[in-house]
Amino acid sequence: MLLAASEAPLLARPHYAGGDPGPIVAALAQVPELLVVATPFLGAALGPSAIDWRTKEIVIVRTSALAGCRYCVQSHTVVALDAGLTKAEVSVLRGEAAAENCFSAPRERVLLHWIDAVAGGAGPIDATVRAALRRHWVDHEVVELTAVIGVTLMLNRFATALELPVATQTLDRLAAEGLA
Amino acid sequence: MTASTIRPAVADGRLPGRVWMYSNYHCNLACTYCLTESGPKAQRRELDPEAMIDIARQALELGFTDLGVTGGEIFLLSRMPEVLAELARSLPVVALTNGTLFSRRLLDEVQQLAELPVALQISLDRPDPDTNDAMRGPDNFAKVVAAIPRLVERGVTVRIATTVESIEDAELDRLCELHRGLGVPDADHVIRPIIARGRAVDHDLGVQADVPDLPAELTITADGAFWSPFGPTVHGGRLDTDLLITRTTRPLSVPAQALLGLVEQRPAGADSTLNIR
Repeated sequence: MLLAASEAPLLARPHYAGGDPGPIVAALAQVPELLVVATPFLGAALGPSAIDWRTKEIVIVRTSALAGCRYCVQSHTVVALDAGLTKAEVSVLRGEAAAENCFSAPRERVLLHWIDAVAGGAGPIDATVRAALRRHWVDHEVVELTAVIGVTLMLNRFATALELPVATQTLDRLAAEGLA
Repeated sequence: MTASTIRPAVADGRLPGRVWMYSNYHCNLACTYCLTESGPKAQRRELDPEAMIDIARQALELGFTDLGVTGGEIFLLSRMPEVLAELARSLPVVALTNGTLFSRRLLDEVQQLAELPVALQISLDRPDPDTNDAMRGPDNFAKVVAAIPRLVERGVTVRIATTVESIEDAELDRLCELHRGLGVPDADHVIRPIIARGRAVDHDLGVQADVPDLPAELTITADGAFWSPFGPTVHGGRLDTDLLITRTTRPLSVPAQALLGLVEQRPAGADSTLNIR
């Protein structure tokens, strides 16, 4: 399922130039025309943007936990720590502790409610949750945060369905941090 | 939009004009240097005939100038004569065959190609049965030299393809004498090296070839679109993906545009001098 560098199709070769591109790219390389449009999109959605790094990782880890994606939770636990979240905060996002213990900023608390409503439920979103979010976040932020939830859910199902392997160094770091 | 970019690219030589189609991968032979590990038990990987005809029409609309059909042995597909005839109504066709299946019935069926821009390219590697058949299988030589004049006398255009690691001048002279005697002129005889892909790797045969060495001829298979007909090879029963362009084959504009993009990224003068065609 995952293509090695020697098997990389022509359009995928640049992604292997720096070494192992990771399992998401190595899987998408099977369909090169999808890879070449997906990677810029995923980069724009999940990479540096108007939404700060810490906030993005809050969204990604929480969404991945709600979706039960082992690959994304483990991979982004490490990224979240690098982004400055504490172990306690990450534990909350992973559903291992209550939010009240860590996230005191109203802006982040309403965001967690929004993530839980969008990623954890089905059908329409409760209007009071949306209204609360919009009191703390401006329109373009609401749109981007929601897009990040959606992109993360897509990757959650992709990674889970294809049983993408977590990098050894990630597993080692998780063990060292007591978050395996 | 895409026709407006492909047509001038073909016209000014930036993109080769031929579109290849792998009609199937199975074969009645199992040659030692086969790129696709074709053989009687090979996975068929067939292209639907209607898809082939549609691809030909799209190729014409985009500005491509020629078609190639290869396999596998293409005449294991019973509809191939009519498919070739239909393809030729869009663009001139060269169709590669091992030349061993030309029964009287098949000869009658390919007769219709005599009036159309179709050339059958038949493999003949050596001027002697023993050396030819060593790599291609028993009785190959006899069947080929019997079939070629029968095709020629029916007015079907025949080309000869010689695929060798190397060949001495004297042996090549005898081979050329042979094909001339069979009714195939020198202009319709191509000599090409064995490429170290597919089964050739297992027999330690052939020259290494990568993108710069291979013609950027758009090649459509059941598994996707590839850079050159030397791209969609099989080794160890597994399709090689290193020369894959796109999995999407229709609309043909998708792989054609991707191929053009790759061609235009190549540095000037990057083409190899290997005589691979």
